[in-house]
Amino acid sequence: MAIDPSVVGRVYPPQPYEVSREKVREFAEAIGDPNPVYTETEAARQHGHQDVVAPPTFAMIPVMRGFELLMDDLGIEFARLVHVDQRFTYARPLVVGELVETTTTLDAIRQVGGNDLLTIRNEVRNAALDTHVCTAKATLLIRPEEESDA
Amino acid sequence: MREDRTDLTVGQVVASAQYRITRENLVRYAGASGDFNPIHWSDRVAKSVGLPGVLAHGMLTMALAGRLLTDWLGDPAAVVEYGVRFSRPVVVPDDDEGVAVDVTGTVAELRDDGLVAVELDVRVDEQKVLTQARALTRPPGSHTGAGESS
Repeated sequence: MAIDPSVVGRVYPPQPYEVSREKVREFAEAIGDPNPVYTETEAARQHGHQDVVAPPTFAMIPVMRGFELLMDDLGIEFARLVHVDQRFTYARPLVVGELVETTTTLDAIRQVGGNDLLTIRNEVRNAALDTHVCTAKATLLIRPEEESDA
Repeated sequence: MREDRTDLTVGQVVASAQYRITRENLVRYAGASGDFNPIHWSDRVAKSVGLPGVLAHGMLTMALAGRLLTDWLGDPAAVVEYGVRFSRPVVVPDDDEGVAVDVTGTVAELRDDGLVAVELDVRVDEQKVLTQARALTRPPGSHTGAGESS
């Protein structure tokens, strides 16, 4: 059954996420990136950052918190989800030690070939500094519940 | 405030690299990103939902292509916008070699606002696995001034 279009426009409450030094290091290692700006404070300072910064796609971690909230609200299991596209617009990188919050909005739903295509927007902000960090936009394809595992 | 981009021309290849994804990388990325979807680590689950095998996280492929950008730029803060479409799944075999991902970045446009539009070509076995993979960056070597301070 298709998702009820009346949910379009729903905004989910800000989800907090604290950027930790070890998580940034772990993420950089997982993507095999040896850039010292992700691990060494001094290297990051040479680029004008206050401290170690996170790789661009690290922003997906706080964004996922928003996805989870939305999926939970709409009763969608992760097994039915296909990530179609993802885009980030950055005001600046995430910096270790900062606490950000991600607000998620369901911008649109359209039906294509029996699937629901959701357009989701996440705004990542640092509330304490009152600064915008990045905006993420994604299209998620949700397969119908009835589909068999064929 | 326009940066000096005299070294760049439209159509110029700015960077090119091959990255490998093994099962170990998938396990690491799952832990680092918090994406524990079993299609990224269980052959049994992947097959049961009709997939040809265990797939790389789309966000891991996006992160590797992003690495090409940040290696070229030096500072991740120079990435202003980055987006991709996950057009083809990347199957990761259970062996020591894994799968090779070839990434090439080309200057698509030198914009009036001083930013550089970069087109990313991301392929496995000559087939594009990401499409509409584009970034907007500040020119390499420009002082980004991060702006994360209070």
